Amino acid sequence: MKPVSFSYYRPNSVAEALHILAQEEEAKVIAGGQSLVPLMNFRLSRPKTLVDINGLRELAAVEADGKVLRIGALVRHQELLAHPLVVKHFPALAAAAAEIGHWAIRTRGTIGGSLVHADPAAELPAAMVAHRGVLVLTSARGERRVDADAFFYGYLMTDIAPDELLTAVELPLPSGVRYGFAEHARRPGDFALAGAFVEVAETGHAGAVTWFGVGGRPDRQEMELSPDASSRERQFAAALAEMDGPEDEVEARYRRQLAAAAAEQAYQRATASGRGN
Amino acid sequence: MSITQGPLKPQFTGARVTRLEDARLLRGRGRYLDDIDVPGTLHVAFVRSNRPAARIVSIDVEGALAVPGVHAVWTAEDCGITLYTERYDVGQPVLAKDEVRFVGEAVAAVFAEDRYVAEDAAERVRVVYDALPPVLTFDEALSEEGRRVHAHRANLFHHTEHETDGFAGAFANAPHRAQATFVTHRQTGVPMEPRGCMAQLDAATGRLTVYVSHQSPHQFRSQLTRLLQMPENQIRVVVPEVGGAFGIKAMLYPEYLVVADAARRLGRPVKWVSDRTESLLADAHARDNRHEVEVAFDDEGRILAVRDHVFGDTGAYPFLGFPGAVGEAGWATSMLTGPYKIPHVSITVDCVFSNKAPEGAYRGVGGPVGAQVQEGIIDLVARRLGKDVADVRRINFIRDEDFPYQTATGNVYDPGSYAESMEQALALIDYERFRREQAELRRQGRYLGIGICTFVEPSAGAESEAGSTPYEAASLRIEPTGTVTAALGLGPSGQGHETTMAQLIADQLGVDIKDVVVIHGDTDSAPFGGGTGGSRSGTIGGGAALRASQEMRQRLIKLAAHLLEAAEEDVELVDGHAQVKGVPARAYSVRDLARIAYTDVARLPEGMQPGLEVVVRYQPPLSATYSNGTHVALVEVDVKTGFVRVLDYVVVNDCGRLINPMIVEGQIHGGVAQGIGSAFLEELRYDDSGQLVTTSLMDYLLPAATDVPRMRVTHIETPSANVGGFKGMGEGSLIAAPPALAGAVSDALAPFGVFVTEIPVHPRQILEWVQGGVHSA
Repeated sequence: MKPVSFSYYRPNSVAEALHILAQEEEAKVIAGGQSLVPLMNFRLSRPKTLVDINGLRELAAVEADGKVLRIGALVRHQELLAHPLVVKHFPALAAAAAEIGHWAIRTRGTIGGSLVHADPAAELPAAMVAHRGVLVLTSARGERRVDADAFFYGYLMTDIAPDELLTAVELPLPSGVRYGFAEHARRPGDFALAGAFVEVAETGHAGAVTWFGVGGRPDRQEMELSPDASSRERQFAAALAEMDGPEDEVEARYRRQLAAAAAEQAYQRATASGRGN
Repeated sequence: MSITQGPLKPQFTGARVTRLEDARLLRGRGRYLDDIDVPGTLHVAFVRSNRPAARIVSIDVEGALAVPGVHAVWTAEDCGITLYTERYDVGQPVLAKDEVRFVGEAVAAVFAEDRYVAEDAAERVRVVYDALPPVLTFDEALSEEGRRVHAHRANLFHHTEHETDGFAGAFANAPHRAQATFVTHRQTGVPMEPRGCMAQLDAATGRLTVYVSHQSPHQFRSQLTRLLQMPENQIRVVVPEVGGAFGIKAMLYPEYLVVADAARRLGRPVKWVSDRTESLLADAHARDNRHEVEVAFDDEGRILAVRDHVFGDTGAYPFLGFPGAVGEAGWATSMLTGPYKIPHVSITVDCVFSNKAPEGAYRGVGGPVGAQVQEGIIDLVARRLGKDVADVRRINFIRDEDFPYQTATGNVYDPGSYAESMEQALALIDYERFRREQAELRRQGRYLGIGICTFVEPSAGAESEAGSTPYEAASLRIEPTGTVTAALGLGPSGQGHETTMAQLIADQLGVDIKDVVVIHGDTDSAPFGGGTGGSRSGTIGGGAALRASQEMRQRLIKLAAHLLEAAEEDVELVDGHAQVKGVPARAYSVRDLARIAYTDVARLPEGMQPGLEVVVRYQPPLSATYSNGTHVALVEVDVKTGFVRVLDYVVVNDCGRLINPMIVEGQIHGGVAQGIGSAFLEELRYDDSGQLVTTSLMDYLLPAATDVPRMRVTHIETPSANVGGFKGMGEGSLIAAPPALAGAVSDALAPFGVFVTEIPVHPRQILEWVQGGVHSA
């Protein structure tokens, strides 16, 4: 359980990092390393070069400008879940971040790492899709912004190019809507078997559910959310039936049931107190 | 020589003495196998089979040898040691020869300057396989057309039958009969510290020192002596700190022979430490058996006869001295009647080879499975008759007046507290109130259940996975300055033997526990003993410590009496002094006595040898002593997700006289945690092609702290006939927890007709049951 040998760079600026990414073949960015290092130790991932961005403090900020909340790619999960701006504007995101792994993992793992890794059972990719976030991708060629919904392709696959660095995400500050989050994992801290973010309008029944853990990527579906629980149950079941699930039919059925249960819980949380958890 | 009885008021024995080991262990200062770091060491990476069954066509090691830093690459041609079990006529080459028989079997060993290089080179070893159809299930192993795992012999390698006289009549004439098939899937011990071995040849003396993470230093040395064909006094085995063992570290593994052989033939220190994937692939697996059970009972719920047909899958090879499936089936069926008076049994055992990893000992061995059957049939009878599960237990319990009680399976139980432990446990959990609340909560759509397991744990047996050494040894010496050094043949892995043994010794010698050092794990200093396993250390090891310190005590008293010119019976040992009873002024300190014994020998009484040193071996009078207790689990099943939460858990435990209640409770906490894993989480899963798919702790799920409830533990003390009155208790908690937890799920989901007979219970399975209708035995 040892990685193959690799070259290692620790740039001091984003520009330097981008230069290395542009120059080196098969380079991989490492931040918290909570997914990448195990993959390397299993030799499932064999980057020739690691670009360690932990020194790039300019990527570690959380700031709001009245329209969007901008979260630097290097913000750790533990910082995210406790950050006053996140707790104030995106309580469901804070609640979701608290469910990532264990404390030791959360103090190392970063939002950028989680989004780029794109595990279909991870909380943060779904949170970005649910909150209609935008990912800021930078390279020596320039900067581009990609909607979260377009960024995630499928199981561990995203729109990022090999020479690009995810520098930040931008979340539009919500108005007139509330979010709730829930997930079901076998043990606390595990990747979720299934989870959901639910968005409800403060007036009327308009809403959306973003599921994760069922298909290969987070799946956001807008729907009128009935105030009647059994109607909602049917809505969730119908929506989930349309989604791709795991190949194993029994497992797929189970995931859909958990996803429906999570959506209902998330709905309750979104409507109960305005708090996200 | 008469042995003076212990002091009237033991200071340490029975007290919650803080563990002496904790200061170093909790600060991260323990020195484990992987901490042994010798310059010039070669590190090993094994090339392991990725096929469950295949002929080895060729192995090309050239690519690996070309990697800079690689010193050697071995295959079976270079190291031909075979672990041969005569009884079954099966040998396991330490490196696979001609054929591989399970995924994870070592095929080649790479020796390199560090583990990174070794793993780089291991990838470059080219093995060409010719696949064979794998044998993966009991039915495949037993089928007429099925392939043989070992071509020269049948897959069915162990078959026994045992039936009590009169079984057939009792079974046939019973008013009721029911049947159920109980299954436990493959699990393993998963010690926090994985296995490992390091060996080094002393160039000056030619002696081989082998460091190993193991439970039984002397047994391991005996095996090395035989397999390496070296004189026993040329091998020194050192067991450093062991971070959990759970039975799996009592086994002899092929990797250790490769490491030891390489150290002596390559002339360099050699080290291998298992990584977690290797552990899951090639540590001893356990459980993996099926019990087809029929129970006959009367209208009151009294069980009249039980038939059990056991199928055990031991994997590809028998571990030397302990083929897991045989050990497990033996224990499970021997203890089949548990704490109940069941007059008739009919037991058939079939154990087979398969193309899966070898099975060995894991804490509780067949105990949890036997208890699952024993408690399962009680719950089944209760359900069939519509009776309370506690009442059916009450009517079947062996009562106090029945001891010593001979079971239908041939065990003789020494006194225990079966019924009392259950009554106390039910009172602790407030059983009657729970039943009322349960009914109310069901109306609200909440499903809570209680499961009960009253277990009997055979302990301190003459034979166990620690080998067939029916005694344990203690050497005890008082140093010239009066401090005490004891050495035992035990192999602790976190049980706190240094503390418990010191408690016993300090009380006998009337010294402070801080003046006693207990050493173990080094065959150069520890007396030959059986090691740790089969819940024997506290009882047999404790007996040896007690006997040795009693003998030493007698020496001190004899010496003091001589010096004080008093009769021996008038001398007592108190607070580090030997004094004339009640006259502290007429005293010699133990320190003075020691000094005199070593350096002022003219003052010794006639015939007394200089020095203060004894070696004592203690063999218990009984072939086993049986501890007991009751676990009650209270769970809630979420019928929307299938998740089970353990809401409350009580244990009433009886292991005879307690040496240290805190340590006993720690053992119970850990066993219950493992039981939660066993009942709900842990499963080594092979897919249909014979690949193990649970090769990391992301897939092999262990209970986390949040899965384990606070539990309440109380004690009953029914002493054994062993010296000190101790009974072993290392395994009872893992024996009792899985059946209690499985029973609680059955109870919670009784409205859906669910009766759990297979563990671990998956959430997915629970939803299938709840939604899919009735699942009942």
